[in-house]
Amino acid sequence: MIDLYWMILLPIIVGSFSVILPQKTAKKIMVLLQVLMVLGSLANFYHVRVNGTVIQNIGGWADYIGISLRADILACAMVLLTTFMFLAMVLFNYGKSYSDNLFLFLFMVLEGLITGIFLSNDLFNIFVLVEVSTVIISVLIMYKKDTRSIYDGMLYLLINIVGMSFFLFGLGMLYKKLGVIDLFGIEKVLSTIEDPKSIILPYALIITAVSLKSALMPLFSWLPKAHGTPSAPSIISAVLSGLYVKNGVYLFIRIQDAFEPVINTSDFFLLMGFITAVVGFVLALAQHDIKLILAYHTVSQIGLIMMGINMHGTHTYWGGIYHIINHAVFKSTLFLTAGMIADEYKTRNVYNIHGVMKRMPMVGYATLFAILGITGAPLFNGSISKYLISYGAKGSWVEYALVLVNLGTILSFIKYSQILFGKAKKSGKAKCDILRKSVVLILGTMCLAGGIFGRWIVMIMFNVEFDVDPLAYWMKVLIFILSFLAGISIYFGLLKRNNFFALVNSFELGFNGVCLSIAMFFVLILGYVAIAL
Amino acid sequence: MMDYINGETVSIVLFFTGVYGLIARRNIVKSIISLGILQVAIILYFISANFEEGAVPPIGDVSSSAIVADPLPQALMITDIVIGMGVTAASLTMFIHMYHRYGSTNWLKVKRKRMK
Repeated sequence: MIDLYWMILLPIIVGSFSVILPQKTAKKIMVLLQVLMVLGSLANFYHVRVNGTVIQNIGGWADYIGISLRADILACAMVLLTTFMFLAMVLFNYGKSYSDNLFLFLFMVLEGLITGIFLSNDLFNIFVLVEVSTVIISVLIMYKKDTRSIYDGMLYLLINIVGMSFFLFGLGMLYKKLGVIDLFGIEKVLSTIEDPKSIILPYALIITAVSLKSALMPLFSWLPKAHGTPSAPSIISAVLSGLYVKNGVYLFIRIQDAFEPVINTSDFFLLMGFITAVVGFVLALAQHDIKLILAYHTVSQIGLIMMGINMHGTHTYWGGIYHIINHAVFKSTLFLTAGMIADEYKTRNVYNIHGVMKRMPMVGYATLFAILGITGAPLFNGSISKYLISYGAKGSWVEYALVLVNLGTILSFIKYSQILFGKAKKSGKAKCDILRKSVVLILGTMCLAGGIFGRWIVMIMFNVEFDVDPLAYWMKVLIFILSFLAGISIYFGLLKRNNFFALVNSFELGFNGVCLSIAMFFVLILGYVAIAL
Repeated sequence: MMDYINGETVSIVLFFTGVYGLIARRNIVKSIISLGILQVAIILYFISANFEEGAVPPIGDVSSSAIVADPLPQALMITDIVIGMGVTAASLTMFIHMYHRYGSTNWLKVKRKRMK
């Protein structure tokens, strides 16, 4: 067991020292650090899995007074995922020219902050970490100083600061009412509260900010710009889409848990998740930039995860959590390969790229595996988590909603997979860095491994046993094949000739529009909770 | 009437004034100023929320007095002031960069140029 604060401080300290080192040494140290971090988080995970939740109070204060770090099995799994992803990203970026010491420093600090958000138990501490990571991410987005990415980074920064202001204001009200800012202290105090109505306003403020962070339906318009901005390094897109959005979802889970005794809004967020999933894939279908397709698709998958964690069943909950992990794996694979493909073809237009399979076979296979994973094809990791989510939804409208969402996923990835086949303009194979190829291929194979061993992985990691009912699973396979065929016929029969979804493209929110939607969402949730309570 | 004019209500009004500024003003500098208003509102709320008449600061010998002010909001707000300053500085720096590229302080014009 390694002290939890080291998991946060180590990357930041090493990152800041490496700025003064020569670049080659710094890169080697980074790889070494990432290996150490993975080992450390593995050790922590093992410890927590065997001995139960660990709480460490920094500075030796009593409970609920000082800042405390708390590692339960969910937090440890997330930290393990973070460190593993960062190892892959650092390896992927090893030979890149733009990854100078400053870039690596910012990247390492980001790792520390993400780990910190997962482990932190104190809401103000979480606020500070999120605020700092917002600034760092906006710097990383505009790292190449391209004109468009400066707008995207600026928008990202300001919108997220607005969101976090809501969070802090809600926190202030909560502190006045309850006298604690510790997540589990809040849970404890709330279960004995006398007038639950006084909690509505702080709850609405906090949950608005968290919904913004996790990119729910009206509040997602900053996400595609930040994640899919053309000139952002592909590892930044991968980390943002694979990990950083999950911070929002994780906070959502934690805060919903803490407020559970008083305020239960899971029905509302189940519906919001569904709407988010549908809107996400509709917008993804409207795009023709490969990075933007992937970015909008993140929105759709967040909706799916939201549906999973808001359904209140053991299966659906852990299915949602497993989907968080799976989504991190396949979405980062897709972003990394998209970056490599865009570098090779010098375009990001999905209609102008053909024949990746022939020209860059390894990258092509990695992309294909990831696509199969994200669409929930049998044997791949997406199928297990989607099976788990739909298992708990049996007999309600959600079951059909999930089929619809998956059909949309398949549709948008049929569009995306066009880049794999066909004839490449240039013949012969492209030259790629062997390290980058192997990183994406390993991540791609993990999609397959996560599917084949999915049951064991969930059992070993989360101690949740479930039986895959063969009949139900084969039904899912049948549904997948049917929706695949339907997707192909819809896409080639209808959308390819006349993409009416492209109309949506002209609809785009600016900064004021996003602020308005934040305020509207706040009013909506305030009204909903006030009526429901 | 005068009872309602206290730190809490003023800060809530200030906060939503800031939100109005964010929604209704298209000038980027004014958006950043609105963010500043939000921060001031939050700081005012934290400081005044748990205010008690006659409380002494929790420094030095406090055993003689019955009421001691809660030190936590002050400690949190010092952190928040620092963060707010850093964030404002970062957004202003980015704004200057953006102004050099786009030549406008209007969100709409900048957005139109970005979409091209």
